[in-house]
Amino acid sequence: MKLIRRTLAALVLAVAGVAAAQVPGVGEREIVVGSIQDLSGPIALLGVPVRDGMQMRFDDANAAGGVHGRKLRLVVEDAGYDPKKGVLAARKLVQRDRVFAFLANLGTPVVMATMPLIVDAGRPHLFPFSPHESTYAPRHPLKFQMFAPYQDYMDAATRYMVQTHGYRKTCLLYQDDDYGLEVMKGVEAGLAKLGQPLVEKTSYKRGATDFSSQIARLRGAGCDFVVLATVVRETVAAVAEARRTGWNVDMLVTASGYSAQTHELGGKAVEGLYGVTVLPHPYEAGANGQLADWIRRYRERFGAAPNVWSVMGYGVADLFVKAADKAGRELTVERFTAAMESLHTPRDFFGAPEYRFSRDDHLGNRHGRIAQIRDGRWVILSDYLK
Amino acid sequence: MSPADGGMDGARDTRSPRPFAAAAALAVLAALAVWALGADYALAQAAFVATWAIAGLGVILVVGQCGQVSLGQGALLGLGAYAQALLALRGVPAPLSLAAAVALGAAGGWLASLPARRLGGLYFAMSTLAFALVVEEALVRWESLTRGAAGLAVPPLALAGWVADTSFAQALVGGVALALAWFACRRWVASRLGRAWRAVREDEVAAAAAGIDVARAKTLAFVLGGGLSGLAGALYAHWIGFVSPEQFGLMLSFELLMLAFIGGARHLAGALWGALVVVALPQGVSLAVERLPPGLAGAAGIETALFGAVLVILVLLRPGGLAGSR
Repeated sequence: MKLIRRTLAALVLAVAGVAAAQVPGVGEREIVVGSIQDLSGPIALLGVPVRDGMQMRFDDANAAGGVHGRKLRLVVEDAGYDPKKGVLAARKLVQRDRVFAFLANLGTPVVMATMPLIVDAGRPHLFPFSPHESTYAPRHPLKFQMFAPYQDYMDAATRYMVQTHGYRKTCLLYQDDDYGLEVMKGVEAGLAKLGQPLVEKTSYKRGATDFSSQIARLRGAGCDFVVLATVVRETVAAVAEARRTGWNVDMLVTASGYSAQTHELGGKAVEGLYGVTVLPHPYEAGANGQLADWIRRYRERFGAAPNVWSVMGYGVADLFVKAADKAGRELTVERFTAAMESLHTPRDFFGAPEYRFSRDDHLGNRHGRIAQIRDGRWVILSDYLK
Repeated sequence: MSPADGGMDGARDTRSPRPFAAAAALAVLAALAVWALGADYALAQAAFVATWAIAGLGVILVVGQCGQVSLGQGALLGLGAYAQALLALRGVPAPLSLAAAVALGAAGGWLASLPARRLGGLYFAMSTLAFALVVEEALVRWESLTRGAAGLAVPPLALAGWVADTSFAQALVGGVALALAWFACRRWVASRLGRAWRAVREDEVAAAAAGIDVARAKTLAFVLGGGLSGLAGALYAHWIGFVSPEQFGLMLSFELLMLAFIGGARHLAGALWGALVVVALPQGVSLAVERLPPGLAGAAGIETALFGAVLVILVLLRPGGLAGSR
């Protein structure tokens, strides 16, 4: 009995000790940050460079002495786009790894399934890769987003294109999921402001490879401007199909199709395609000194050329580092979110937009700019469209 | 040998050969999980394992007992999940909405089984595949009801004022539901119907010659299996808190088939073993990967590769499934 009582007493003390310990994930010498990525599922193509970009920014910060003397440690879980695995990964990161915050969780089903659990555990939910509005609105003290929503920037991009080119019949080809729906809302809103209707819209299922019927339908409707809510492969397939049938209509793809792979895969067929970019692709040719150095270091570290997703990962982690630095040595969730709410970053050497957060607005940026594929690479044509 | 003898053998082979060894192994696994992961994380796993085991029982009735290949089981989970989500959002009490989810899953199973009257073997399997595609498409298109591809947020399960929003509560509900489902399945497979299923599985013509209504046996397997899938889907919707059509695509159907075959499709216990492998093994692999040197641990897809390797070893060592006798 005595033994049992003693053990119990020791247990109670241990539990109380843990409860009294400081903020989860913040130790004397390190800050632990968690991220739920897709490294093996349908969007592993994004997940791997995003993770590498984040890791590189943390390594850079650590090489410079860390944040207020604490090293940053990134714990990545692979959920493979499966919300079930995502939920388990979130619980593991909260309870076992005791992470301070979640950074750039990837994929709408995973984000939607894990976000309630994460904010209930009192952890900041930062910059998830999901177009879902609930990642920043209605305002929640722990939710922050930096990726411009499709709806906002496609509204501005559609208006810009129609106004500068004088199109009369705008049409849309969209993927029939949440991504496609968000784009559709943006395009319709932009056209409505100009008093124009969306003349024709047609959809496809994710992973489709044949777009002959969709392109024929859009052509039949007499479109003079086609917005593409497609991802890389579908962008190439849709543009190639139009050109193959001799239809030289102007097309504009969202930032999901703005990728070096689009012109690498598409070659001549995608010349002249317009795209919206929120972050520029890091081209080696013509890079400024800082960028060229960054590209070289990335290559050495990961054995692959960086792409726009690597830049995103680096940017996400960069904002975290800046906010944690601003929060000071006595890092708590409250201090961190207060620092986030007054964070305003200038443009960097990548050419990324300014990010501005406030107490009332937890979405850092709403703007994109127009680019075009010329001579096999994306050339940026406009500034960020307000 | 009369069909009845085959039925007796079948009834015996639905039970796990060494129940005590199995129970001990489970207890050790559970203790290990709590020790390595912490109680809350382990309980969250347990909730998913129990839920997936219920879905696995549905597959085992159809595939293991009745011998029909179903590639549409994921869609039946989807029906249950959406029924539960939509009713819960409209404030329908959980006992009613769970019953509705089970009923919708059963109705879906009945619908999916109709082609079995005319088709057999692979052709029928193709028709269940088509059924799964139709359901997924309907969930996307019927936007006014399902909000299409944008998905639905699902509130936590509430039973008469008690809200199951902790992982302990979820594991408890999952465990109770699994126990009830298990009890029902044991009764079904030991009944006349279970003997009919096994006769159909072994030889349809012989079963028909022995006076078994083959079409009815198949339909009932799908209806009961569908009801179990509906129940699993309803619980899953609450545990995840968000449903969207893409979650209930073909990948899920394949995952459930894999679950049944790895666990042992001919034994009810196969559902539990299979669920453990499919749900908990990837988590175990992920923990093991953390122990690897950083260069190797960071390789993309290493967890999937290791998981695949373990599956291959399991299948080679126990071709009849984990719950099988060999």
